[in-house]
Amino acid sequence: MKVTTQIFAGLIVIIALVVSGCTQSAPSGPSAGLGSVTVTQYVSIGNSLTAGYQSNGLYQSAQIYSYPNLISQQLVAAGANLKTFNQPIWPDPGNPDPATGKAARLQLISWNGPVIGPAGEAVTAGAPPTAGTLAQPYSNLGIPGAILYDFLDTADFTAKAAARANGFFPAILRSAVFGNSIYAQAKNLNPDIVTFWLGNNDVLGYATSGGTAKNMVGTDGPTPSALFAQMYTTSVGALHASLPSAKILVANIPDVKAVPFFTTMGPEIAASIPAGVYLRYQKHGNSGPAFDSTRLTEANAPLITLKAAAYAGLLGHPTGQWYRDVAASFNPPVPVSAVIGAGIDTTMPFGFHPQNPIPDALVLDADEQATAAQSTSDFNATIASVAAAAGAAVVDMNGFFNSVKASGVNVDGEIFTTEFISGGLFSLDGVHPSSKGYGIVANQYIKTMNSAFGMHVPYVNINSLPGIPIPLGRIAAKRYIATIPYSAWKSFDALWNGGF
Amino acid sequence: MKRLVLHTACLGIILMLAAVAAFGGGFQINENGARAMAQGGAFAARASDASAIYFNPAGLAFQTQGEIYLGTTLIMPDVSFYGPVSDANDPAIKNESKMVSQTFTPINGYITYPINQDLHVGVGVMNPYGLGTEWDPNWVGKYITTKVDLQSFYYTPTVAYKFGDKFSLGAGLDIVTGTVKLQQAINVVNQDTRLVIDMTTKTALGFNVGAQYKIDPQWSLGLSYRSQVKVDASGSATFSPQFTNPAINVVNDDASASIKLPATGFAGVAYKVNPKLELEADYQYIGWSSYKELDINFKNDPTKDVTSVKDYKDTYMIRVGGEYTMDEWQFRAGYLYDHTPVATAYVDPLLPDANRNGVNLGLGYHITKQLRADVAYMFLRFNQRQVTGSAINFNGTYNSQANLVGIDLGYTF
Repeated sequence: MKVTTQIFAGLIVIIALVVSGCTQSAPSGPSAGLGSVTVTQYVSIGNSLTAGYQSNGLYQSAQIYSYPNLISQQLVAAGANLKTFNQPIWPDPGNPDPATGKAARLQLISWNGPVIGPAGEAVTAGAPPTAGTLAQPYSNLGIPGAILYDFLDTADFTAKAAARANGFFPAILRSAVFGNSIYAQAKNLNPDIVTFWLGNNDVLGYATSGGTAKNMVGTDGPTPSALFAQMYTTSVGALHASLPSAKILVANIPDVKAVPFFTTMGPEIAASIPAGVYLRYQKHGNSGPAFDSTRLTEANAPLITLKAAAYAGLLGHPTGQWYRDVAASFNPPVPVSAVIGAGIDTTMPFGFHPQNPIPDALVLDADEQATAAQSTSDFNATIASVAAAAGAAVVDMNGFFNSVKASGVNVDGEIFTTEFISGGLFSLDGVHPSSKGYGIVANQYIKTMNSAFGMHVPYVNINSLPGIPIPLGRIAAKRYIATIPYSAWKSFDALWNGGF
Repeated sequence: MKRLVLHTACLGIILMLAAVAAFGGGFQINENGARAMAQGGAFAARASDASAIYFNPAGLAFQTQGEIYLGTTLIMPDVSFYGPVSDANDPAIKNESKMVSQTFTPINGYITYPINQDLHVGVGVMNPYGLGTEWDPNWVGKYITTKVDLQSFYYTPTVAYKFGDKFSLGAGLDIVTGTVKLQQAINVVNQDTRLVIDMTTKTALGFNVGAQYKIDPQWSLGLSYRSQVKVDASGSATFSPQFTNPAINVVNDDASASIKLPATGFAGVAYKVNPKLELEADYQYIGWSSYKELDINFKNDPTKDVTSVKDYKDTYMIRVGGEYTMDEWQFRAGYLYDHTPVATAYVDPLLPDANRNGVNLGLGYHITKQLRADVAYMFLRFNQRQVTGSAINFNGTYNSQANLVGIDLGYTF
């Protein structure tokens, strides 16, 4: 018995040794950190995408999820001694629609449809409350509607607001005391890390208008590629020259065909065209009834923009609703006869009859798509070469959005696609990302930052961000074709189409 | 000392009675007898107690007495996930999520009876397939899984026959029932809803066969096979909260799924060094390639159907062990290597599998001539599993280990 007791005790000792010797250690790899990079001041430069614009508005509960704000939080998590990252925050419900004075942001108005539009919310603050107190430039210099030209432009902010019908310039840049351009204000903050995402509007303004908007030099089409190249070289060159030790990240321009504003309505309308009937749409440059025909199923089918959602139900009906809406949107309203082209007969079936075609402004046809694609390609080539020369890192947003369009992206179990609403990536205006979408954008920046500059900045946890306030996700994997009234697009158009 | 053993035995009985059937640690559970478990599960060539019903039914035919053998295995897994990461330089490699600690208690129970000196019958119950994983409801992988609880019950009436002194055959029926529970979060309307799928299976049938050959008094061989069983499960899919407005349809539904529990087989060789010491080595085959994907079908709304690709491969385990008898005591030890069926791309938090090494120790004690108590301990170490190129884009590193304690009581008559 004594021997067995000893053996028993011996076995217990062996077991204890085996267990204690086998505890797993954590995997080896870097801890969160900034590598050899010092980060005390971060400045973001851009347009509405950088401002955190969402669902056609700029409002606090969306702006806190702007990608620059998320990046700044992750930089702090990596140990950055970052001074406050100041954003020009509009308290909810956000900025006013100039036409109505009510909040511009889109909301779900009715499940029946569903209908999306402004909810008539009273604006609580016409400008950011910090505008009068902050004694330095805003760290987030994303200005909705800004084109590349605006970066170095020293025109008076208020005069520019009037000329461009865009009040964001004076609201965000405030006073020339802080610097007389976006560039000057950025430089004055003396940042050691800068993100620069301009150029989207140089092609999006053209594309969202269905190819009808003029560019900054007053001609048809996007900003001319040679001019873009010249401006980009000067802009990023100036930034690099005045901030020689700053880490600069520039993002390139996604293909317009990757956003739901362009991709949603075509397949929807195609499904509703009766057999034997062709869709008639107005060709750009033809104000009258000259048209092209399409079944919307061919390889080079025109893209029908999301603005057409409110009119899809009128296809085949004798209607001039579009022209009445356009006329009513002017301040003061103009007669319908002022906006209707010669030869248009609204007693004919809308969209199906050559004399009542789908208006030019709702269609990006094959020629216009080719123009937009060429500009995007030219701009991105410029961005790549200028970045290389300035030692800046390129965030490949074009490649990323194209891959999401092709196969979606699975983020920690949640699948995002470029589908309107149900895809989860884009907000209710079909162009600007949702809060989760901005988190995914922020992670593209962080990925580039880490690989280009040897930093170890942790990623944003997308699961911790709110979705868009409407059904989405694979569980509700159906299409949502929301009816958005024409008037809601007025402030959207003002982002890029004003003044040229 | 005797008092201690008796207390241990009493504790074992209490645990057995308290054993609610919840299982896990891995999808397959081979710890179906504390005596075999203590020897690395290398037992098919001897199969010299009632647990032959699991390891090799032909072993019954060489047994001269009837036996009741009852027990449980306490399985205590400890799993950590580090990630998710996008690449090796991602600092999230330090972000640890720990699986919720649970203790699983799969049971095993057998009763055997020799009808005559050649013919032996028996019946067993065990849980050879089971899985239990649970993560915090708000963990980073909540949209993939928060909880899995898979249980199976095998009821196995068995018959074995001895042909001469050296050779026997055995065969049994596997009557299989089970339950499947899955939970995860889903993001709907700017908030999370929790999906709980709770299914029970219809009774399914399989079979098992075995052969044993005693070459001489020292050497013996064993071979056994248990068939694949396809179980059809159906039950409820519950969303909390539900969403019932006209534009979306997130409402409770009926769910169903089919799962193929894989075929498995043992090939073993045993050697009796002397009257006191027996050694054995086994090779176990598991036909995991039956588990291609997990499809959950929703009855009223097929758009919610979930397909999760698994693409498991056929695999094997190596088992070696031995038993040394000293008076009323038996000392046992063993080792096993378990080769994972899961390719790296398909390792997910529902079952973060990896190659495993297990070391086993155990004791048997004859309380009386007829009553025996067996205890076994296993430390199961999973190799660190680094997942890259995940099919669900959930890359990271899993560290897993498990402590297992087996307790069985045997009574021969």
